[in-house]
Amino acid sequence: MRMIDEHPILEYRHGQRVKFSFDGREMEGYEGEPIAMALHANGVRIYRETPEMKRPRGFFCAIGKCSSCFMVVDGVPNVRTCVTPLTAGMNVQTQRGKGTVALEEA
Amino acid sequence: MHQRTADVIIVGGGVHGCAGAYELAKAGVKVALFEANYLSSGGSGRSAAGIRQHFGTEVNCRLAQYNVQCFTHLEEELGAELPLDYAQWGYMWVAYTDSCLDQLKKNVDLQNSLGTPSVIMTPGEVKAKWPYLRLDGIIGAAFCHQDGHINPQTMTIAYGRQAERLGATVKTHSPVERLLASGDKITGVVVNGEEWHADKVVLTAGPWSTPLAATVGVELPVSPERHNLLVTEQVEPFQCPMVLCLDDGAYFKQCPNGSFFLGRDDAGEPKTTESGNSWKFLEGVTKSVLSRIPVLSGVRVVRQWSGPYDNTPDHQAIIDWAPVEGLLINCGWSGHGLQFGPSGGRLIREMVTGQPTFVDIRRFRLARFAENDLFFEPAYI
Repeated sequence: MRMIDEHPILEYRHGQRVKFSFDGREMEGYEGEPIAMALHANGVRIYRETPEMKRPRGFFCAIGKCSSCFMVVDGVPNVRTCVTPLTAGMNVQTQRGKGTVALEEA
Repeated sequence: MHQRTADVIIVGGGVHGCAGAYELAKAGVKVALFEANYLSSGGSGRSAAGIRQHFGTEVNCRLAQYNVQCFTHLEEELGAELPLDYAQWGYMWVAYTDSCLDQLKKNVDLQNSLGTPSVIMTPGEVKAKWPYLRLDGIIGAAFCHQDGHINPQTMTIAYGRQAERLGATVKTHSPVERLLASGDKITGVVVNGEEWHADKVVLTAGPWSTPLAATVGVELPVSPERHNLLVTEQVEPFQCPMVLCLDDGAYFKQCPNGSFFLGRDDAGEPKTTESGNSWKFLEGVTKSVLSRIPVLSGVRVVRQWSGPYDNTPDHQAIIDWAPVEGLLINCGWSGHGLQFGPSGGRLIREMVTGQPTFVDIRRFRLARFAENDLFFEPAYI
């Protein structure tokens, strides 16, 4: 995990360190911080692939508006990972196309 | 000088008006269509756009079969500039009571006798076919795999555009103020302060038909009723059929672009053509639908809207010549009219040009209300 630890103005206080999975790989992040932040700190830059042109998309607006960071989280597609807090054991997956609803786990 | 005349004037640019204009223009009739707003802006474009052959009266079953035959090649036939999004992912009526299931069985028997391949399914068969549905407490369902969805806006607009290409005059943002009659004969309409003359006028203005018919003394028992609908954001299509739950009238289906339409009956809705919507609908429909398809629980709502049904006392259409000569009525579809666009258009053409209709539609006559000879459609939502 690579993050800014010291900042001239801001003071960082993190929550609990938790494990989650990204496309089956185990990763660590801080509970309550955005999923996208944890992924970024783990070097993950591509969050989804566009439906028509199959282009990569990642972190962009960071305020839950732009659709760039949509991922499948715990079987739910189109989760805005930049504004969704990380919790322990989350299953985060790259979203391909419009995102697949997890029917088999229903 | 511009001659403001046509052979036939159509009032209302919903799917029936546009399909009628298309059919008449194709037959070489000089037709002018007036729409108060834009094509599909009324009930047509606001419809949930379910395509079904599940009806409980023979005339509707026969017309519905014709509609489905048309939809498969409609995009090519109309040279549609935008896709019509036609999908046959099926349509299911889900019964929670014995009386409902008995009615569904009667309907399916009728449909089968006319050649429609609908079936009755047991709760176990439903569960096996769509394991993601949670239809607890159902006792059976009626399903037809040929049924499905079409885009109500692009279909209506495609009919109107093709009618124009074939020579029809189509004027939008042109509200017809009143109909014109001389004695007991129709002579035209007044639109934007101008008179347009024709020997035949076709009234396809849904719930707005009632006040317009009254301008020439024709009383239509057609009244508006507001219905709500919402659409979710898109997810990868898994061909979820239209599911209509007969306990509280909730329904949902996936559209070909992956979004879901969710709707639900609400007895408290105002009887008005005014659009508008409420938190009450949003809360009621999402609670009801998500209990039956919980895999949608993380999928977001994009928007909700409403549109008016044009209800008649027996929930059946009126397709008939009015007591004023030359005035043809096609309205009162009571919420299932969008899908009848193809047959409605053909019937308008046949009646206007004096041909026999391809299906016997005498039961849709206007006089049935005055004569108390109502003709209820049991498969009404």
